[in-house]
Amino acid sequence: MAGAAAAAAASASRVHYLSDLCCPLGGRAGPKPHVLRHQAEVFLSTGREFVYVYDREGGVLTAVYQFPHQVWHLQLLAARRALYVLCARTGIYCLSLDSRDRAEIQASCEDREDEAHPPPVIHVDPDACVLPDAALCAFTVLDDMLVTLVQGPTQWKMQLFERPCPGEAPRPGGQIGEVELSTCTPPGGVPGKPAAPCFLPVLCCTFPPDSRAPHGHPQGCGCLTLEEALFGLLFGADATLMQSPVILCGLPDGQLCCVVLKALVTCGLAPGDPKVLVKILHHLEEPVVFIGAVRAEPHAEEEQREPLPEENVHSDCLVALGHQGRTLAIKAGWSESGTLVPELREYCLPGPVLCAACGRDGRMYHSTPSNLCVVDLTRRDTPWSPEKADGAIGGLPSMLCPASLNICSVLTLTVSSGASTGGTELLALSSKGRLITCSLDLNSEVPVPPKMTMANAGQKIKELLLDIGDASERVSFLKKAVDQRNKAITSLNEAMNVSCALLSSQEGVRPISCTITTSWSRLELRDMLMATCTLENSSSFSLDQGWTLCIQVLTSSSALDLDGAGSTFTYTIPVDRLGPGSRREVTLPLGPSESGMLDLPVTMSCWLFYSLREVVGGALAPSDSLEVPYLETLPLNLPKQEGVCLPLCKRTVDMLQCLRFPGVSSQQPARAPCVPGPACEPVETFLKTCQTPGSEPAGAASLRAKYLPPSTASIRVSAVLLRTALEGGHSGSHLCSATLQWLLAENAAVTVVRAQKLSSIQGTAPDGTDVNLTVREVSVTDLSPAGPIQAVEIQVESSSLANMCRAHHAIIRRMQTMVTEQAAQGSSPPDLRMQYLHQIHANHQELLREVQTLRDQLCTEDEVRSYSTAQKLLQVYKQLRNPSLVLL
Amino acid sequence: MSSQIMSALSQTSSSTLDLWKDKNDRLVEQARQLTGGSRLSLRRQQLAQDTLEGFRELLLTLQGLPAAVPALPLELTVICNYIILGASLAQGFTEDLTQDVQRGLERVLETQSQLEPKLQQGLQGLWHSVLSASSLLPKLLPALHCLASLQAIFWMCTDHLGDLALLLQTLNGIQTETSEDLLLLIKSWSPPPEKSDAPLILQDAEGLRDVLLTTLACRQGLQELITGSLPRALSRLHEAASGVCPPSVLVQVYTALGTCLRKMGNPQRALLYLTAALKVGTTCALPLLEASRIYRQLGDTAAELESLELLVEALSATHSATHSSTLKFHIEVELLLPKPDPASPLHCGTQSQAKRLLASRCLQTGRAEDAAEHYLDLLAMLLGSSEPRFSLPTSSPGPCIPELCLEAAAALIQASRAPDALTVCEELLSRISSLIPKTSLWENARKRTKELPYCPIWISATHLLQGQAWSQLKARKEALSEFSQCLELLFRALPEDKEQGAGSNCEQKCWPDVALKQLQVAALLSRGLEWIASGQDTKALSDFLLSVQICPGNRDGSFYLLQTLKRLERRNEAAAFWREAQNQPLQEEATWSLPLYLETCLSWIHPPNCEALLKEFGTSLL
Repeated sequence: MAGAAAAAAASASRVHYLSDLCCPLGGRAGPKPHVLRHQAEVFLSTGREFVYVYDREGGVLTAVYQFPHQVWHLQLLAARRALYVLCARTGIYCLSLDSRDRAEIQASCEDREDEAHPPPVIHVDPDACVLPDAALCAFTVLDDMLVTLVQGPTQWKMQLFERPCPGEAPRPGGQIGEVELSTCTPPGGVPGKPAAPCFLPVLCCTFPPDSRAPHGHPQGCGCLTLEEALFGLLFGADATLMQSPVILCGLPDGQLCCVVLKALVTCGLAPGDPKVLVKILHHLEEPVVFIGAVRAEPHAEEEQREPLPEENVHSDCLVALGHQGRTLAIKAGWSESGTLVPELREYCLPGPVLCAACGRDGRMYHSTPSNLCVVDLTRRDTPWSPEKADGAIGGLPSMLCPASLNICSVLTLTVSSGASTGGTELLALSSKGRLITCSLDLNSEVPVPPKMTMANAGQKIKELLLDIGDASERVSFLKKAVDQRNKAITSLNEAMNVSCALLSSQEGVRPISCTITTSWSRLELRDMLMATCTLENSSSFSLDQGWTLCIQVLTSSSALDLDGAGSTFTYTIPVDRLGPGSRREVTLPLGPSESGMLDLPVTMSCWLFYSLREVVGGALAPSDSLEVPYLETLPLNLPKQEGVCLPLCKRTVDMLQCLRFPGVSSQQPARAPCVPGPACEPVETFLKTCQTPGSEPAGAASLRAKYLPPSTASIRVSAVLLRTALEGGHSGSHLCSATLQWLLAENAAVTVVRAQKLSSIQGTAPDGTDVNLTVREVSVTDLSPAGPIQAVEIQVESSSLANMCRAHHAIIRRMQTMVTEQAAQGSSPPDLRMQYLHQIHANHQELLREVQTLRDQLCTEDEVRSYSTAQKLLQVYKQLRNPSLVLL
Repeated sequence: MSSQIMSALSQTSSSTLDLWKDKNDRLVEQARQLTGGSRLSLRRQQLAQDTLEGFRELLLTLQGLPAAVPALPLELTVICNYIILGASLAQGFTEDLTQDVQRGLERVLETQSQLEPKLQQGLQGLWHSVLSASSLLPKLLPALHCLASLQAIFWMCTDHLGDLALLLQTLNGIQTETSEDLLLLIKSWSPPPEKSDAPLILQDAEGLRDVLLTTLACRQGLQELITGSLPRALSRLHEAASGVCPPSVLVQVYTALGTCLRKMGNPQRALLYLTAALKVGTTCALPLLEASRIYRQLGDTAAELESLELLVEALSATHSATHSSTLKFHIEVELLLPKPDPASPLHCGTQSQAKRLLASRCLQTGRAEDAAEHYLDLLAMLLGSSEPRFSLPTSSPGPCIPELCLEAAAALIQASRAPDALTVCEELLSRISSLIPKTSLWENARKRTKELPYCPIWISATHLLQGQAWSQLKARKEALSEFSQCLELLFRALPEDKEQGAGSNCEQKCWPDVALKQLQVAALLSRGLEWIASGQDTKALSDFLLSVQICPGNRDGSFYLLQTLKRLERRNEAAAFWREAQNQPLQEEATWSLPLYLETCLSWIHPPNCEALLKEFGTSLL
C-alpha cells in the first residue's frame, strides 16, 4: 500500500527550481532555516545572518537583510505588514514590509541598472531591535501579543509582551506576564557567552474555533485553529470558556507543555505560578522539532459541497514530531459510552527529522536527509474491520505509512494549496541552498497514464526530463552512500577470507606469516639491536584497508628491580594493501636505551588487527558532513573489541641472539662494539676499532677482570641426547661445534662458527661486557652403573653477573625445548645410579631451601645485614648454577 | 590588548599600575553614566556588556602576572567591580562569580606563600587565612572588606548562614563564637574607610554592608512571620524598616508589619503602619489588601469593601511600572529579596483576583446589587476581550471560570435580576457545550480525564440556577423542567468510586461527596417547593423524602417534609418520621466550605426560623 502511494506521489509531483541561493548553510548543529510565504513573496532564512526576500512573480531576489548574528526564527504578521526576526544572542527585530522600504530597494536596484546583479545587502539597523535579550530562544507573535521563550540559568521562562510595532522604540513595562517552565540543562560554554543550543524550542499558538484572531496568519507561522472538542479536552474549561489562545511549547528535552495565554498575565513583581499556568501534555523523550495540526476527519458538509475555504478548516488532530522521528498524534474521541476522551498515539517515522509541515486532508510532510515523505493521518485503513466503521467515527490510524516524494535533504518547508487544481504546493529549501516548489496532486489515487498524443508528447517529455533533473540530486547522494557500503562489504568479505585462512591452518604452514629476525646496526653513533618483522602474504587474498600489523614488545623486568614488571610497548603499523605474494618488512629498534640498558629477554608478539569501525563505520556515517548537514551518526552495533584480532607469531629475543663476536664475525668488520651512551665519542670509537682483536680489554673492563672473578655457569647434557637432537642440521660436524652452532643458530655469527668449527667463542653483550661460551666434551663417571656417560658441558663465563645470568637463562630455555621435544619422541634414558641422583637432588633441595630463607631475610633486614645476606645468596646461586647433573 | 601590555611593561612598574588603575576608573565612570537608562535599550545593554567585558579583560591582565602586594588592592577592586556589574546585569548571583572571589583570595595567599595547605579548606578556610594574614597588609583591607561583603551577600542569598556567621565573626576580629545573632554581627562590623587615591569602586563596602543588613533583617522577619513567631518577626521587620530601604521594599516591610500586628491582635497599630506604607507611595496594592483583611477582622464591612475597591483600581495601574525597567549598577535590596510566592502574606495577586474577592465579599455580606455589578464587570473583562489583559482570578490550579459564571448568576438572582442570570447561564452552557458528551452516559469520564468530570456538576448547577431564575419569574413549567434536568444529570454523575473523589480533588475539598449531596438536596427541595407552589403536594412529598434520605438529619428537608405531611393530614407518618429523626444524629454545622453559588442557593431555600418551627412540630406531634 505504501508502495502504491509512493508511486502515486512520485508520479504526481512536479518539482521546479526557483532560485539557487548558493548560500553557505550552517553546519549540522546550526540553527534551522525557515521559509515563509505571503502571496507572491517568499521570506527565507538559511540559518546564517541573512534573510532573503524572493519575489515569485518576478523570479528574483528583491532584498537581502543582514543581521548581526544567526537568524533563528522568522515570523510574518501579514495583517500588520511586519516581519519579526529572532537573531541569536541579540533579540527580536521587527522589519516593516511597507512599500516605502520597497521603493528604496527598487530605487537602489535601478541605480545599478543590472538585472543580473544581486540585490543590495541591507544591514539591519540596531534600532530595529524591538526586544533586546541575549537569552531569547524562540518567539511567536500574535495580533497584539508577543510570546517569547528565554533560557534562564536553570529554567525556561515564557514571557508575554505587548506586540512591539516596527520602528518603535522598546517600551518599558511592555511585559505583561511571565511564567517559568520546566528545568532545562544549562548549556556549556564560557560563562556569559552561552554556546548556541543544538536544538531550539518550538512555540506554536493554538486558537479555539470561534476566536477572531488568526486570520491573516500565513500557514506555517505556528498558528493553529483546533476543533472545539480537542481544544477543550487539551486545554481545559477555562481556556475554552475564555476562548483564549493557548501557547504550545515543545522543548529540547522532549516535553510538550501548554500555557493558556489569557491566564498568563501577572502583576509586576511576581512571575506566575507554574502549577496554575503550565500544563504538561506529553513527553516525547527526544527534542521536539515540530508542532502542527491536521484535519483528519473530513467535514460532513465538505463531502457534499465545495471544499471549505482554508481558514474555516479546523484541525482535529494535534501532531508533534521529535528529532528522531517519534511522532505524537492527539485527537478527541468519543468512548463507547459517549464520553469525550483524548485519543493519543505515538508513531515512529524515519528520522532524523529536518523539518515538517502539515497540509490539507490529514497529510503531514516531513523531511529527512534522504527523503521527503508524506504521511496520511486520516483513518483510511478500515475496510478489514467493518465493526469499527459504524461505531467509533474517525480515530487515528494504527500505523503510519510514509510515502516518499523522492526529494532529499529538504531543510525547511511550507505547504499551501495550489491555485487552480486544488492540489498542494510545497515550497522548500534544499540543503544545497536551492529554493524549490513541488506541486502535488495527491487526489489522483490511481494514476492512469493518459493517452499519448502528438499534442501532449512534447509536454510529457519535458515533464519527464524535469523529473530526471529532480532525481539527480537524490541519486548522487544515494549513489555515494551505496558505493561506500559496497566498498565496506567487499572489504569485510576479504577480511573474512583472510581470517578463515589464518585460523584454519593453525598447524601447518600459515598462508600469512610473520618472521622476526634481529641484527645489530648502527644508528646515530650508537649500536642498536634492531628487530625486523617480515610480514609475508602467501595466500591468495590481499590485505587491504582496515588491517593493521601490531607488534608488542615485552621486556623482562630488570634484575635489579625485584617487583618490577617489564615494560610493554605496542607498535601498530597499518598494512596498506598487501597483495598476494608480496611481503612487507618492518624494522623496530629494541635497544639498548639511552642509559645503555637492554633488559633481555625481550618477547615480541605479532598479530593482525582488522578494525571494523574504520571500514564499516565510514559507510554507516558518511564523512562528508557538508553534503548531509543533519545526518546523525547511527549507533554502531559493533562488538566491544571493534575489530578482529589474528595472532601471527611470538618470538623471544634472548642474550644468545644479541651477542656479538668481534673476534670472529665476518659480516661485521672487525670492530669493537661501541659502548652505548652519550659518552661515546668518535675519537674513542676510532681508537677502539684500532685495537687488535683479542687483545686485553682496556680501562675499567681490565680492572674489573683483574679484581672481580668472572661469574660462571655450566650445563651438562648427555652427548647422546644432543647428538639425536642435532642430527638433522649439524650432522657430520664435531659435536661441540655443532652444539655451539645450535646455540647461536639465530645469531649472525653462526656461519663463522660453522666454517671454523669453533667450540668456544668470546662474545660481547649489548652493554659491552664480555661473555664467553665454551663447549667441551666430558665424561661423567659416577652416574651410571653401566660406565661413564659421555656428556657435553656448556660453560658461560662473564665478568657481568647479569649478563652471565641472561646467557645462562637463554641456554636453559633452549635446552628445555630440546628435552621436551626429545621426550616426545620417546628416547629412553640409560641406566642410572639412583642413589647418587637422590643425593644430588637432596643437595639441590637443600640449596633451594636456603635460597628461600635468604630471600625472606633480605626482605626484612636492614641495609648492613642485608648486604651479607645478599653475598650468601649469590654464593648459593653460584653453586646452583654449576650442578653436577647431566641432562639425559 | 597585548600591545598595550607591552607598552605598559616598558615603563616602570608603578606607572603600569597607574595605567591599569586609570582603566578601572574609566570603566566605573562608564558604568555610572549608563545607570538610569532604559533596560530595554539594546545600545545601553550592549554598552553595559562591553563594560563588563572590559573589567574581565583587565582582571585577566592583572592575574596574568604573579601576585604582588602593590597590585593586589587594584586587582581585588576590579574583582568587586566585575561581580557587582555582573550580578546587577544578570539580576542575580551565579556560581561563577564566586569562583572569581576564590581566585582573588588565592592570589592574596600566593603573596604570603602559604597557599598550598589552605587549598583543601574551601572558601570558608580561604577567608579565614586571608583575613588573618591580611592584618600584615593594611593596604589590602578596604578592598578585602568589600570582597567579603559580596561573599556575605552571596552566602545570605544561598542560605549558607553558618558560613556567613563565621565570616562575620572573622571580620569583626572575634575569635570565639560569642553571638549567633547575625544582625548584631553585621552591625558591629565597620569596614575600614577607603583612601582617597584608591581605585574607584561601583559600590563600597559600607554600602554593601547596609544592603546586607536590611536584606537579612527583611528576609528573617518575613520568615518568622510565616512560621508564626510574631514578636521576633516584629523586631526584625522594625530593624529592616530603619535600614536603608528603597521605597518599594519599604512598602513591603510596612505591610508585613501590619500583618504581624494584626495577627498579634493590634489592628489599630497595624492600620498605622499601613497608612505609613500608603504614604511611601510607590505601590498601594499590598497595604490595601492587608487593610481589607484588618477591616474584615474588625467587622467593618463598608471599610473592607472600600479598600478592596481601591485595591482593584490600584492593580489596574501596576503593570506599567515593573521594577526592572531601568538599568542600575548597584546591588540593591530588591535584587536580593525572593519573589513572594502565593502563600506569602506579601502576595497581592492580580486585578481580577482582587475583583473576584470584592464581588464575593459583596455577595457574602448581602450587597447583592454591588456583587452582581462586580461579577458582570469581571466576566466582561475575562470573556469579552480577545487579548489577554487580565489574569485568571484564581491562585490555585484547576478551572475557575465556570464557577465564576455560576457565582455571577447566583448574585444576579439574589439581586432580583433573573433575566440577566438566565443570560449568563445560557452563555456558560453554550461555551461549555463542546465538552458535554453527546449522549448522556458518562460513567467512565471520571477515570479518564482530570478536569472534565466537573463538567456535569457545573452543568447541573447551571440548570439549578436557571430553575431558580425561572421560579423567580413565576415561570413554573420552565423552572420544573430545569430542576428535573439538573437532577437527572446529578444522579447519573453520582460517583460510586470513592477513591477518585479522595485523590483528585485537592483543589476543591468538598467535591464530590458533601457538596454533591448538598447540590442534590438543593435541587430536590427547589423542585419540591415548586411542586407545592403548583399544588402537587404528593410529588413534592416524594422529593422532600428523597432529600432526607440522601442527607439524613438535614434540617431544611425535615422541615419541609413535616410541613407537607402535616398539611396532607398524615399525622402518623409525620410522627414516625419525627421519632426517627430524633434518633438521627443532628447534621453537624458546615465545617467544610461549599462553593459560594451553592451556599447562596441553599440560603434561598432555607425556611426562616426553621428551628423554632421544628420544635413546634415536635410538641404538636407527640
